[in-house]
Amino acid sequence: MKISVCIKQVPDVNAPIQIKEGRLIQDSDRNILNAYDASAVEAALVLQEEHEIDEIEVVLIGPEKAKETIRKALAMGADKGTHIITEDGISYDSFAYAQLLAAYFKENEYDYIFCGKQSQDTDSGLTGSMLAEFLSLPYSTNAVGLEMADGTLTVKRQGDAGQEVIEVPSPGLVTCSNDMNDPRIPSLKGIMQSKRKPVDTVSVSDMDIDLSDESIKTKITSYEEKPERKAGEKFEGEPDEIARKVAQLLDTEANVI
Amino acid sequence: MSTLLTYISVNDGKLKRSSLEVLSRCNELAEEHGHQSDALIIDPNASEVAEKVKAYGPSTIYTIEDPIFKNHLNTPLLKALATAVDQVNPDVLAFASTESSKDILGALAANQNAAALADVSEFDLTNDGVKAKRPVMAAKIISSVESAGYPTILTVRSGSYDVVEKSGDSEIKEIPFSFDEGDLKITLKEIIGATGDKIDLSEAETVVAAGRGAKDEEGQKLVEELASLLNGAIGASRALTEAGIYDPSLQIGQTGKVVSPQLYIAVGISGAIQHVAGMANSKVIVAINKDPDAPIFDIADYGIVGDLYKVLPPFIEELKKIKGNS
Ligand SMILES: Cc1cc2nc3c(=O)[nH]c(=O)nc-3n(C[C@H](O)[C@H](O)[C@H](O)COP(=O)(O)OP(=O)(O)OC[C@H]3O[C@@H](n4cnc5c(N)ncnc54)[C@H](O)[C@@H]3O)c2cc1C
Repeated sequence: MKISVCIKQVPDVNAPIQIKEGRLIQDSDRNILNAYDASAVEAALVLQEEHEIDEIEVVLIGPEKAKETIRKALAMGADKGTHIITEDGISYDSFAYAQLLAAYFKENEYDYIFCGKQSQDTDSGLTGSMLAEFLSLPYSTNAVGLEMADGTLTVKRQGDAGQEVIEVPSPGLVTCSNDMNDPRIPSLKGIMQSKRKPVDTVSVSDMDIDLSDESIKTKITSYEEKPERKAGEKFEGEPDEIARKVAQLLDTEANVI
Repeated sequence: MSTLLTYISVNDGKLKRSSLEVLSRCNELAEEHGHQSDALIIDPNASEVAEKVKAYGPSTIYTIEDPIFKNHLNTPLLKALATAVDQVNPDVLAFASTESSKDILGALAANQNAAALADVSEFDLTNDGVKAKRPVMAAKIISSVESAGYPTILTVRSGSYDVVEKSGDSEIKEIPFSFDEGDLKITLKEIIGATGDKIDLSEAETVVAAGRGAKDEEGQKLVEELASLLNGAIGASRALTEAGIYDPSLQIGQTGKVVSPQLYIAVGISGAIQHVAGMANSKVIVAINKDPDAPIFDIADYGIVGDLYKVLPPFIEELKKIKGNS
């Protein structure tokens, strides 16, 4: 059995961000493995510890420098990487990402595809289920738990009414929440080993896919600061007194009681 | 004439306020641009639900009624939505942002070769699509986005628009639909911890949220007492849902629900950006935290610096008095 995990390099949302003339200026040294993808890698590794999973592949679309993020996943324990290399400075929307991934998976084998449920920077959460549809795969999004029996996955997903327990046959696709595990931190040994693990590269231009304007369906036109919420009043002192005071203010000043 | 179609989310026969917010926005846009605003209900009792939707004035209410929609299953839902899109041919198909709509948005867009915009906080029409605003980078930044082509499929964050009732004669049209259970790609085994009749977090007027600071039984008891006194919903930070103390459906934040209540009380929550991403649009924020430098105080209208075990009992007592007097 083979599990392929789609991963993405994203800017660290905790790093300082500036906006200049509607454009986002980020510290490019602070790029990380998308936390939801890290959970997807972790979930695959945990399954591999208990089941016959021959290979965990990580697949990343991104510019040359995003290779460091593939190494990170390999250092965690994934077996091999595939890097779909994009030109610097070109950005795709979810639809284009999903099309690229679909073109890759149509030519390559897998039993299950895991994705993060969303990307930490854009929070769109579209790529996984788009990819499933392009490949006509059964899928479940927002997994908060995974189990495997006889080569079939049972997914616990967070739904509106409660947690839905769903069987997703193979080949199938699952998008993972980061609520289900704490991704392991690569050990020194893992980091050393990752350097010897294979990473295949494919360039977008070599793929059998036409990413003309047609497939870029949405574009970001500008960014702006969020209107800042101002800190209100902070009450310190005798717990009894300040608690009563705030309760009264909620009634008389804020009018929300 | 162009059509804006709103999918109405239904929970146990109840209309979800967040989808009525979206319908109200579509009504407004339709009026402004000379378009038509319609609604779509996919439910085992769709025709009954349609009667309730009439009060919000869509021109046509399309229904797809089948027992298969009792629980959320993405295969039949996608098929039903694709059927409705084929029949209605809308320029815009709008959903409230819920776990169900998040589950199918991407797949439906791929299926329809359509543009998709997730979790928008504002949207308007352009000549050939939609322009919208979406919070990104854990809601620290707002991005402006545009889609090209029809239909554009989007989901809208709860609390983005007001619900406006509208009189009018809605016509109800049933869309024929059948689904062979043999075509189910996935199998639903069980639903755990259905929240049932508890107050829906994403729609609540008051939310009392518990964080790691309130992780023991006494803390939970205080939080629950406060929530029930204020007739509010209980929410939690990831620290507590991950620890299994509160149901994961109560998680508020980037990964969890987006809430926009009138009053949000954060009890023992530090205010990490991923948590704030889900609650920063609350009208009034109260924070109770013993660390005077906790980041939650930067966005709180009323910050109480203190130990929650010492602060909450007199706070609750005072609120009881106020409620009793009013
Ligand atoms: C990709 C990603 C997505 C995430 N999504 C979410 C999300 O959706 N929602 C979410 O909440 N988190 C999310 N997180 C986690 C988030 O970063 C924080 O770890 C989490 O919100 C912390 O929860 P907390 O504030 O309850 O706990 P802590 O950060 O541990 O804070 C506890 C607070 O309680 C205070 N306290 C302790 N004891 C007392 C007392 N007796 N009285 C008063 N105050 C007390 C402390 O001073 C402290 O400020 C996400 C993280 C990542 C990486």
